[in-house]
Amino acid sequence: MDTRAYDILAEYLPDFPRRHAGRIVTDTTDFMSIDYGDVIFLDGIHYLVTKNLSERRFGLEDPKYWVKRCKELETGIQRIIKLEFYESFEVSIGKLNSTCYRSPRKESRILAMTEGDKRFMQGRTVMDEMGNCVRILDIIYGTELDIVLDRLTMSHEEYFNTVFPDYFAQFIGAVRAIEHLHHNHEQHGDIRRDHLLIESSTRDWRWIDFDYTFGLRENPFALDLFGLGSILLLLVGQREITAQQLAVVKNSPVGSPAITKEDMALAMPYRLANIQKKYPYIPDALNNICMHFSAKNSVFYSSVAEFVSALVTCFNELPVFKAARGRYPEV
Amino acid sequence: MNIYNILVAFDSSKPSFEAVEYTARMIRSIPDVLVTLLFIERLPDKDLFETEALWRTECLDLTTEYKRTLNKAHELFARNEIHENSVNQEYIVSCSSPFEGAKVCATGESIAKDIITIQKEGNHGTIVIGRRGISKEEEFLFGSVSVDLLRQCTGCALWIVNSAEQ
Repeated sequence: MDTRAYDILAEYLPDFPRRHAGRIVTDTTDFMSIDYGDVIFLDGIHYLVTKNLSERRFGLEDPKYWVKRCKELETGIQRIIKLEFYESFEVSIGKLNSTCYRSPRKESRILAMTEGDKRFMQGRTVMDEMGNCVRILDIIYGTELDIVLDRLTMSHEEYFNTVFPDYFAQFIGAVRAIEHLHHNHEQHGDIRRDHLLIESSTRDWRWIDFDYTFGLRENPFALDLFGLGSILLLLVGQREITAQQLAVVKNSPVGSPAITKEDMALAMPYRLANIQKKYPYIPDALNNICMHFSAKNSVFYSSVAEFVSALVTCFNELPVFKAARGRYPEV
Repeated sequence: MNIYNILVAFDSSKPSFEAVEYTARMIRSIPDVLVTLLFIERLPDKDLFETEALWRTECLDLTTEYKRTLNKAHELFARNEIHENSVNQEYIVSCSSPFEGAKVCATGESIAKDIITIQKEGNHGTIVIGRRGISKEEEFLFGSVSVDLLRQCTGCALWIVNSAEQ
């Protein structure tokens, strides 16, 4: 096979600058060397690499060289291609450390299991000529949940009574999606606010990135539950309510009731879990669910099924969700 | 349910050795007692390893170590003058083991549930488990076998032996 990409690019993309045409790549082992202008040839299809993707963390761009944005030459469709990369690293959750692993095989398995289920990103796995596990993903055109929330300029009270009920209903759907994984003995592994996308065209909430996994523990699903709890606190509070923000409130003329360490989130002592203390109109039943993720709590949800059951009870009973119940009868 | 039919959960950790030692000292003057030393094998997920060979090597190292420590725990009973016929070993293979196909295997999703299943099947009146003492955060994020047993075990007595290291 011709190892230069000139001819194939000339055929499908005649305007592509010839000087940028790279190689045709069939062995993706050395993913660092695959760059703009290279064409990855997998399972009879050509994918032009247009860029390496990055992850947004703490305002910084963290390049992920094993994740390429590509154009499928035969169809013109944009794809994300994740190349095989195994790594392990320590993650800190509050004061605790745990070893996290990146596993392409795990992500492939979940992609196959959730095929056609739009609550999850979609894609397929192919093996390159060296047997590397390559995932070819459909791009979700949408926005991360935290960015959507951040763009809202209204007051919390207005948010809580207008936007939040629909978001809460969508969140229940997203939590049920995770319950579905657990029911099938899989875990998401990296539940974060920016791994839940709101698709622009459908407004569906969709989970992305399933390649993280953790070592042995008594409850293999607890970290997913922890991630869901963190997203709930974000949703109820409209944004993250930090100890620093609370200090400002405390010094203002109209202070909120005294906030103690027990009001903060378990394992994240800088975040408020007792959101009712900042926004007193939060109903008790909803705040009680938030308090399950607080430092005060000593009885935790034992499963996502138990968590979703509490959310659904709230949705069905609280007046704030009355109109949303009509719009989301499936909840 | 026979309270003298005791199930001791063992996992090679220091607290589980302490639970074995505690049990041995508790029962040495009781006649007709029967102890089952239970080990539920847990192996790392294949997903964590780049190749099958690396995973198998890790599993082999772990299972060898598990069986060595289980025998060591068994010896603690003999050292406490408990008759050999009074102590059984039960080693439950992991369902994901690359080495052994067993009719009964542990999925690894909840050790506490596996222990309770064995307790019911074996008509054990007492479960013994060691506890190393973990923070609320650790319990929340990683789970705790002893806490789960405390919540779920309703059909028998439960002895939780605190580790001296706490």
